[in-house]
Amino acid sequence: MPLKYLDKYPKKAWRSLWVLKPMWVTLKKMFKTTLHRPVTIMYPYEKEWIPDNYRGRPGLKFEKCIGCGICERMCPTKCIDIVDADDNGKTVQRPQVFLGRCMMCGYCAEYCPVNAMIVTPDYELAAYTREELVYGPRKLAWPNATEMMEVHLEERLLSDVKRGETGKNVAFYSVDRPELHAKLCISCQRCAKVCPTDAVEMYEAGVNDKGKPIKLPRFDNDRCVCCEKCMDVCPKDAITIKEVL
Amino acid sequence: MGYSSILDWVKFNDPMLNEFYAYKVYNLPYDIGYKLWELIGGALAWLINLIFPGNGFSVTLISSDLLSNFFAIVFMVVVIFAVAFLINLTMIWEERKVLGRMMDRRATRIGPLGYLQNLADGLKTFLKENITPDKADKKGYMWALTLVIGTSVLLACMIPLSHRWFIVDYNTGLLLIFGLFAIAPFMILVAGWAQNNKYSLLGGMRAAAQMISYEVPILLVFASVALMAGSFNINDIVNMQAETMWFIIPQILGFLVFIVAAIAEAERIPFDLPEAEAELVEGWQTEYSGMKWGLIMLGDYFRGYVACALIVILFLGGWYLPFFDVGMQQDWLPEIVFLLKVFLVFFVFIWVRAAHCRVRTDQILNIGWKVLLPLSVINLVIAAVITYGGWL
Repeated sequence: MPLKYLDKYPKKAWRSLWVLKPMWVTLKKMFKTTLHRPVTIMYPYEKEWIPDNYRGRPGLKFEKCIGCGICERMCPTKCIDIVDADDNGKTVQRPQVFLGRCMMCGYCAEYCPVNAMIVTPDYELAAYTREELVYGPRKLAWPNATEMMEVHLEERLLSDVKRGETGKNVAFYSVDRPELHAKLCISCQRCAKVCPTDAVEMYEAGVNDKGKPIKLPRFDNDRCVCCEKCMDVCPKDAITIKEVL
Repeated sequence: MGYSSILDWVKFNDPMLNEFYAYKVYNLPYDIGYKLWELIGGALAWLINLIFPGNGFSVTLISSDLLSNFFAIVFMVVVIFAVAFLINLTMIWEERKVLGRMMDRRATRIGPLGYLQNLADGLKTFLKENITPDKADKKGYMWALTLVIGTSVLLACMIPLSHRWFIVDYNTGLLLIFGLFAIAPFMILVAGWAQNNKYSLLGGMRAAAQMISYEVPILLVFASVALMAGSFNINDIVNMQAETMWFIIPQILGFLVFIVAAIAEAERIPFDLPEAEAELVEGWQTEYSGMKWGLIMLGDYFRGYVACALIVILFLGGWYLPFFDVGMQQDWLPEIVFLLKVFLVFFVFIWVRAAHCRVRTDQILNIGWKVLLPLSVINLVIAAVITYGGWL
């Protein structure tokens, strides 16, 4: 029967009218974008609004920084170096960022114990040379730094909540504390010299065989930011970091 | 003989009084060409007369019917091609703008309203290296390209913009246009073969299969329109529509068939199987580089323009508006009306392109042979019944 070829046609031919649906969608979109505007932003002439806590290049509050070096240690791409900087005639230690390697993760701002390292909304960083991309301590400053540009990394501990202190937030990187093995200590005082927050205080713990006083470090837990500088500098590995959490 | 003003040489004679005037009716591009020659040739003759006063040559140059006619025809052809080219550029611009808005993005930005983007693209393709593949068949490679582009441009120039804007008022106009339209698939097949490249060969095969299968419904729709108008002359078809009604009303079926088939014939997006950027690199155009490729794209848009113009001529009343007196409209600007209609139809093409994704190979052939062909036959029957029933 020749009419059997008609079976190959769709039974409900009106369903083919679905082709009109995308045309309706595009027409609506066209009217909308013509009356208002397309989503495209004409970038060099107009810019998107960005929030304060936008993670652009890192910035530095020079006066607030204590030069502890946590940012240098935490940086995943190792783009931060601690360099000597001049602060009113005094030589201090401040971070310097090589933005050619920076991946804008904001870890330096997160881990900064005094929130001197901030994230800035600056993302137009193209330069002609590699040297221009090395941002020294002064160049890292961001004049209009706001509160929102600091990144706080604080957690509410379960143990605190169980204890009833529900309002207490802990920056967990700073609750680890240095611990002294007094037998190994040779009283060289390097830890006290290197501590950025003056949390190490040397005290006399008796006399040795020759009658000279033995000096041991004592750590002020309120001031310590756990930068591990004392541990690094100790010649006899007498200081270790005790993980509190 | 003293000094003669240049105004004595540029007289702006009536071209219809020329002994060699080839048309029976007024022809606007010929008139423009004639006046252009009067300006340029008159200035030239005045200059020669200034240097060699009283010579016979400058008088012959401007007032001889033969020379004036020759140069007028040269300028007329240039004017017609320039207008077709401008229309083409405007259509590309329209496509970019409308497509951009439909995709929720900005479109071209170069020049006023982004109009100069096409020229920038042309310049860019000019600067590209012109490569001919080593293994390609050089003659087939170049001849196929030349014929594809040449027929497309010729077609675009042969479309009359109004009752006074035409090259030849020929009685078999529709057939001639269709014949030129149908040359391209064979040349595309030759081009695909001559490039010695898998992708272009596949693209050429697909193009030939698709275009040949879509030419059948197009030809049937042509036949039904010609049947209704009683003529293959484009002018007669448009006049018939002005006298009775637009053919879209009795032949809505044929209109729908034609619009789908024309999109397929112009290789535009829902049916751009021959190009198929994702699968076939650039289809049969793969090995054409630099300005050759630019000219192919230009030729594609020329064919798109021809398809839109044919839709306007066959179904949308050509250069006349309904509800207005025909004699009155001839004094307005029928070319502008025609072009506005063409851009409107091209808007539909762009709209379809923005809305739909590419159709599969087997689906394309199914649509062509199983849906459009029966529909166009039905349309032909309807047209015959209406015409011979005397209901038009």
